[in-house]
Amino acid sequence: MASEKVEQHPATGTTLVVMVGLGMAFLLFIAFLNVVKSGNILSEANLLYAALVFYAGAGALYLGFGVTGTDAYIKFASLMTWAGLLANTGAVAHRWYEAGHPPFASIYEMLLSFVWTLAALTLIAEKRYGVKVIGTVTMPVAIVGVILMQLLPSEVRPLVPALQSTWLHVHVTLAMLAYAACALSFALAMMFLIQDQVKTELFLAATSIFTVGIYAAVLTRFEKWGGLNVIAWDAENKTEVFISRGVRLFVTIPDLGWLMLLVFAAVLAPLLLYILSRVKRNEGLLAVADRAVFISILLQSLALVFFLLRVRGGQYPSLDADGLYATSLAASPFILSALVGGIFANLLYLLLLWRRADLERLLPDADALDRITYKTICIAFPLLTLMIAAGAYWANRAWGSYWNWDPKETWAAITWLVYAGYLHMRITRGWRGRRAAYFAILGFAVVMFTFFGVTYLLPGLHAYA
Amino acid sequence: MVLSLRSASRKIWQTLSSIKTGVVLIILVVIFSAAGTVILQRPMTDADDMQRAYAPAMLRFLDVTGLTDIFHTRWFVGLLILVSLSIIAASVQRFPNAWRYFARPYKSPDEGFRKVLPTQAQIPVANEEQGLSAAERAFKHLGLKTERIVRTDSFSLFSERSRISELAVYIVHASLLLIFLGFIVDSLYGWRGFLMLSPGTASNQIEMKNGTMRTIPFAIRCDGTGEETYADGSPKRWWSKLAVVKEGREVSSKEIVVNDPLVYQGLRFYQASYGRTGKLDQLILNATPANGTKGTPQEISLAMNQTVALDADTSVQLVEFIPDYVVQDGRVYARSKDVVNPAVHMIVTSKKAHSSVNVWLPEIPGINENASSPYTFDPKDLKTGVFTGLEVSHEPGQWAVWAGVVLIAIGLTLVFYVVHMRFWVVPVVDARGRTVLWIGGTANRNRDAFELKFKSVVEQIQKELKPAVAASTGVQATSISGTSVSGTTIAGR
Repeated sequence: MASEKVEQHPATGTTLVVMVGLGMAFLLFIAFLNVVKSGNILSEANLLYAALVFYAGAGALYLGFGVTGTDAYIKFASLMTWAGLLANTGAVAHRWYEAGHPPFASIYEMLLSFVWTLAALTLIAEKRYGVKVIGTVTMPVAIVGVILMQLLPSEVRPLVPALQSTWLHVHVTLAMLAYAACALSFALAMMFLIQDQVKTELFLAATSIFTVGIYAAVLTRFEKWGGLNVIAWDAENKTEVFISRGVRLFVTIPDLGWLMLLVFAAVLAPLLLYILSRVKRNEGLLAVADRAVFISILLQSLALVFFLLRVRGGQYPSLDADGLYATSLAASPFILSALVGGIFANLLYLLLLWRRADLERLLPDADALDRITYKTICIAFPLLTLMIAAGAYWANRAWGSYWNWDPKETWAAITWLVYAGYLHMRITRGWRGRRAAYFAILGFAVVMFTFFGVTYLLPGLHAYA
Repeated sequence: MVLSLRSASRKIWQTLSSIKTGVVLIILVVIFSAAGTVILQRPMTDADDMQRAYAPAMLRFLDVTGLTDIFHTRWFVGLLILVSLSIIAASVQRFPNAWRYFARPYKSPDEGFRKVLPTQAQIPVANEEQGLSAAERAFKHLGLKTERIVRTDSFSLFSERSRISELAVYIVHASLLLIFLGFIVDSLYGWRGFLMLSPGTASNQIEMKNGTMRTIPFAIRCDGTGEETYADGSPKRWWSKLAVVKEGREVSSKEIVVNDPLVYQGLRFYQASYGRTGKLDQLILNATPANGTKGTPQEISLAMNQTVALDADTSVQLVEFIPDYVVQDGRVYARSKDVVNPAVHMIVTSKKAHSSVNVWLPEIPGINENASSPYTFDPKDLKTGVFTGLEVSHEPGQWAVWAGVVLIAIGLTLVFYVVHMRFWVVPVVDARGRTVLWIGGTANRNRDAFELKFKSVVEQIQKELKPAVAASTGVQATSISGTSVSGTTIAGR
């Protein structure tokens, strides 16, 4: 009945609004029943749940806008985002009050702040710069963030002595803002490329390279005969298991490695097909590649489901210690976000593949996007500089040296250099448009590596985040 | 020969100052520092781990090229110096131009300049003086200062804001050089070491990273150290009371915690670690007379080698403390320095009987003579010694680094957020012989926002002119040209 209605009046969009509204009313009613049972309305979990419900509603409406281009959705979508942001602010404030320090001390708290920043930026981009479609991308990320938070250990942990410094908060706040600005410049550069008539298959190549990178990183944990190494988790103390100071215990989940290898092959296929089509100048192969993307999304989802199931239940052996150990999603936040990120990137590609004409109609024109990208980096670069400076000052007080060439520090410096290169090329060489956009994308890739890759692949002093 | 030498040096200078060289150098720094995070680095990684990770030939190659300690090799430092030189050369080459721009602002635009300036407009006025004074009022209304430029044949108006912004890039580059300078000074003259102290002890010997000792001109005395934990046992706070002792006098003291070091004469002492020494600090036990039915127990406290009188005749001395004991072949050995399985050895002496008895706690069969002791001992508490581990660092260049950081923050703010804008107002006679006010403006960045600002300036001037213009001509012929080169008036629009 409902779907019929959508087909009859695709332009008004009342149906989706009503459906989303009903869905949210239902979820909020369920939540209300729970609250009545527990008797505590303004707990952090409830606020977070409310934020999730509102973000989900906003995300559905933004997606509806992204796909159909119905302007009516936007008003409700931003209303929902406001409501979600309000609940999220409540959760942040509650957390801050409970913990006695700003919420940056654990991955859970970082996500809490990150989602808040993301929602705020979405509203700013929409109201200030008129980039309405941005919610289509940011809201799903926010939803995934809130869901991840439900899986992570959330109790207030006391701060170890090295983290008891105002400079930590300054450093992390600046990092958060800088990385958010970098993410925004990346999204804007991508939109610029869409508006600049970059061929869709180039986005296919980029998405594939990204996904291949993700699974290559996951496969660094491949253990002989098909296992996948993950960090063991001590459920009682809610902490990772350590063999000695700073050395974590890895357990091997059997057969999961094979599955990851299979998915690796599946995500490699579109890339190979793309290269083949370029070499042979055969356009037909691209259609096959698109189909391969579709298959790879299915396989990636399968990998995610199996990963969730195997990690949440069961005890596994370890190569470094006798006995069986449990693990948890909380012990593998990077693998989890990598798997989710891969699926998300491929879904975005499908959105582009199917709805390119609509997207082009909805986005601001290429010149404006180019300018806004540059302006965003003009905000990000000073923040990056100050973030590194605050980190150096803190390191000097905590460890006795402002620069230790620790991998995280080195990669922060590399990020800084890449953006410095961008600014020089743009200001002195007049790089505009596509070249500048590619540079902005490279910058964000380095940011992502600094944030996730270094922690996952190159451990060092910076063990906190 | 001299000429070719000069041309060669000029060529080197040109290469060094080109942006291309700068970018190539930055790319090299990026590649090598990325390599330094992937290849295991020497001082941090154990030699054993290095051997396990790489094949012998590979390891030799890495060691010879310095790839196992990239950030301290000469060629990497050389690369950083080249980057600094490139920044210096590029700045020196471009600076005079910018300085001329800054020191001698272009205040009265000639005809050629007026023709090509992209952002300009023309407003018809009754006469020069009326137009200029209206413009002056308009700028004042918008909070901009104006200057009347009087030349022999003309006079005009000039207004500008934030000229310093033209030099901002040089401020950023200078602050980077300042940071590099501090860094170089520290890598040449700075050092780091370690100092371990127990409460009550003092030392002026610092153990360096390479194992050698370094004597500092004063001693550090530890007056106490401790640990506080949260309810769940995780550490909350480590503290040490430190005093600086110079020529036998205490000259400074401070209680340091993690994140709050003691600083004295350029040396910084950081709370780095805290632990137990495995040495006995104080032993508290109950001593009860053995002979006689029920003597009253007395609590005594013993430190190492301390003798305590139990009664007029008997005394007890603590002679040995073994933190982790094991018995083998009738002797007691220490297995480790961790206080996990402690044993104490005391000697109970009786003056009258001229006897001394070896008492061990706990009883160690075959060795102890606890049975013949006139007192039985019941251990109550055992306090072992603690130590505080202090990182010591000397970084004479860090002030240059922090000064550079402050300067770079100022410089970047100027670069990105402070716009140098200039306005000129010149009364001219247009092609049709009318007197018009030519208004031009430029900004060194953020041009689209400047267009709006320019528009508001022109509108304000029109508003100031309105009564006069309405009275004289009644023509509202104005054009604001954003990007087109020609800014001539289009009448009757």
